[in-house]
Amino acid sequence: MATEKKMFLEALRKKFKESPEEKYTQFYIYGGWKQSKRKQEFVEWGTKLAKERGIPFYNPDMHLGGIPLGQRVLMPYRLSQTDIYCEGDDLHFINNAAMQQMWHDIRRTVIVGLDAAHMVIQKRLGKEVTPETVNHYLEVLNHALPGAAVVQEHMVETHPGLVADSYVKVFTGDDELADEIDKRFLININKEFPADQAAQLKAAVGKKIYQVLRMPTIVAMTCDGGTMSRWSAMQISMAMVNAYKLMAGEAAIGEFAFAAKHAEVIEMGTLMPWRRARGPNEPGGVPLGYIADMCQASRVKPEDPTWVALEAISMGAVLYDQFWFGSYMSGGVGFTQYATCTYTDNVLDDYCYYGADYVKKKYGGFGKAKPSWDLIKDVATEVTLYGLEQYERYPALMETHFGGSQRAAVVAAGAGVAVSLATGNCTAGINGWYLSQLLHKEEMGRLGFYGYDQQDQCGSANSFSYRSDEGLPFNLRGVNYPNYALNVGHQSAYTGIVQAAHSGRSDAWTTNPLIKIAFADKDLKFDFTHPRLCFGKGALREFMPAGERSLIIPSR
Amino acid sequence: MATYKPQYYPGSTKIAKNRKKYMDPSYKLKKLRTISDDDLVKLMGHRVPGEAYKSVHPPLEEMGEPACPIRELVEPTPGAKAGDRIRYIQFTDSVYFTPLTPYMRAWMGHNRYRGVDIGVLSGRVPLEARERDLEKVAKDLVETEIFDPARCGIRGATVHGHALRLDENGMMFDALRRFVFDKKTGEVVYVKDQIGVPLDKPISVGKPLKEEELREMTSEYRVDGVPFREDKEMIEFIQRLHMLRTEAGFDPNKVKGI
Repeated sequence: MATEKKMFLEALRKKFKESPEEKYTQFYIYGGWKQSKRKQEFVEWGTKLAKERGIPFYNPDMHLGGIPLGQRVLMPYRLSQTDIYCEGDDLHFINNAAMQQMWHDIRRTVIVGLDAAHMVIQKRLGKEVTPETVNHYLEVLNHALPGAAVVQEHMVETHPGLVADSYVKVFTGDDELADEIDKRFLININKEFPADQAAQLKAAVGKKIYQVLRMPTIVAMTCDGGTMSRWSAMQISMAMVNAYKLMAGEAAIGEFAFAAKHAEVIEMGTLMPWRRARGPNEPGGVPLGYIADMCQASRVKPEDPTWVALEAISMGAVLYDQFWFGSYMSGGVGFTQYATCTYTDNVLDDYCYYGADYVKKKYGGFGKAKPSWDLIKDVATEVTLYGLEQYERYPALMETHFGGSQRAAVVAAGAGVAVSLATGNCTAGINGWYLSQLLHKEEMGRLGFYGYDQQDQCGSANSFSYRSDEGLPFNLRGVNYPNYALNVGHQSAYTGIVQAAHSGRSDAWTTNPLIKIAFADKDLKFDFTHPRLCFGKGALREFMPAGERSLIIPSR
Repeated sequence: MATYKPQYYPGSTKIAKNRKKYMDPSYKLKKLRTISDDDLVKLMGHRVPGEAYKSVHPPLEEMGEPACPIRELVEPTPGAKAGDRIRYIQFTDSVYFTPLTPYMRAWMGHNRYRGVDIGVLSGRVPLEARERDLEKVAKDLVETEIFDPARCGIRGATVHGHALRLDENGMMFDALRRFVFDKKTGEVVYVKDQIGVPLDKPISVGKPLKEEELREMTSEYRVDGVPFREDKEMIEFIQRLHMLRTEAGFDPNKVKGI
């Protein structure tokens, strides 16, 4: 790629006053935190609030015994493939409402099949189920799910203004049945997906009908992920009682509860082992292939599978690296810097498109070549060397990714995505990632920090392994996979490696078609079709989340 | 039986040769500067020069150790015999043609010194050892060709700088400004110890090496120096290593030709 076409140069020119090729600069002259508008705002608020609360608070003089942050340039960040620039602080999930909402939208979702319940109603109770009864049931449940009563007297209920983002919709692969469902309740596969993807999805779903239930964001904020299927199951059962005029408490009701809580429920994340002690629908249990399927970039720009993978990567970065590793697992203020490198400044974009161009020229397109040692070695080595050379040619780029873990993630992500695109096989892609890490370590003589690259130094051996403690198809791995449990800065790219393999061969989904359809929903608060743009809006404070409490608190 | 001759490291370029050289304990590192024992102790900041070593256990001779074949095989280091504390020295090595990269620093240390515990991160390499042993090792690490005053930093914390551009004097960034370039003498002077506590008197660690010297001595591949692409032996070695590990992880029976 010619110098002038390198995607990261524009951002580098905004980040630093010197040319990106310049090796020398000046330090210690930027005024510390005062060079940052965001830090100035923090100081203003910290000072005001310290007076109000009477307890010392945010005070940058505490940094390094009086040496403030900002001895070097506190550089801005560009959200990749957008025109949005922000400060690093704006990408911490605490400071970014869009990031919070992405996670809340995932956590508050469960999918529950309706077929088992319909079978109980028809075969066990001898009642009729028709599109009309289904529509009536859905209207009842849209009343009940946010927290309203449907059967009992003298019940307390939730304020609609606090839970307006809670609703239920359905989808089916049966076009005739879909036509009979009230459009207000339907996720219309034909409408939301390109025709070839819709055909694949409908064939996978068949004649079954599934409910997609969104619990209120305020519930996702105040309760845990395990709450969601319980909340939905209770309201489903009560809505069934109401809609089909059933006896509350008759034996058949237990079947609805069992179906909604166990037999027909699909959680967004699986239960975690006790040493990590999390229920379902927590970030640690979300498989890589699920987060790739939640990302909806593949249905809005299927002709650009590289972009699709990059959008999925940004979601993986925020969910796994910023929320899970950066907070749940590590404590503290988190790992924002590790994560942002994969979705800012067009750096990974440049590496991935370089790999994609290389694959197109040498292997005739995406998903055309079978996985082989020759291909993995060729593609992963080329993209790795390209990525490392960019850091060495452009000192400003090296300074942008000032930590080895950042560089290792971005370079290996480029290599892994390129191998996935070439082969349509994400297991080959992850193997390319590991080759990249070994090459990187020897080329630079350094990689990440101990906890970062330990996994990469033994990862070659488990990439194709199906042994009991390691064996899992790559799509189903995630931070719950033993070797990835401390894998900060990796999972974002892993999401993209899964996504690239499937989008490269025009698959409608990567792992679970139901998840893909469930998030093809314009009524979700977070825009899953353009996550990076949405994170950028969050950084600019232009994103309006759900879960606000202004109705029940004093006005400011 | 053929005599085993360690190869230390693969590769065919000048960089690979430098790596082999530093890792080979039979190669004597060239001494380039002298730092007094007292100054080195001050730079590390663990004790005051002349102060007795603090101990964490009685001397081994007084402890009545249990019968143990490993203890018989391994001669304790002087610091271990005396019961010294374990203390550290930590280095940050710039990406701009420093003599050692972090992994080279660690592997070199393991090959050359006993009783050391070395960690590797991209921006720092901590070396821990019993205190009196540490002081001996630190002497090598600061006085010889593997240290450049401007592009290697002795830093206990706030190590940020290895990947940053260089300042107008060719010095690596240091948020704490532990070291400064003395324009009058052309030498690099430490004004704070490695953890950032101000020193009573500045300590000179000598003049920075010239760029051309660094390019000859470095163990860093760089596209503007010796590009990694040119070391085909090195690349093929890593690819083979990766293939063997992958195949062994899938099915050890598939591994052939080792």
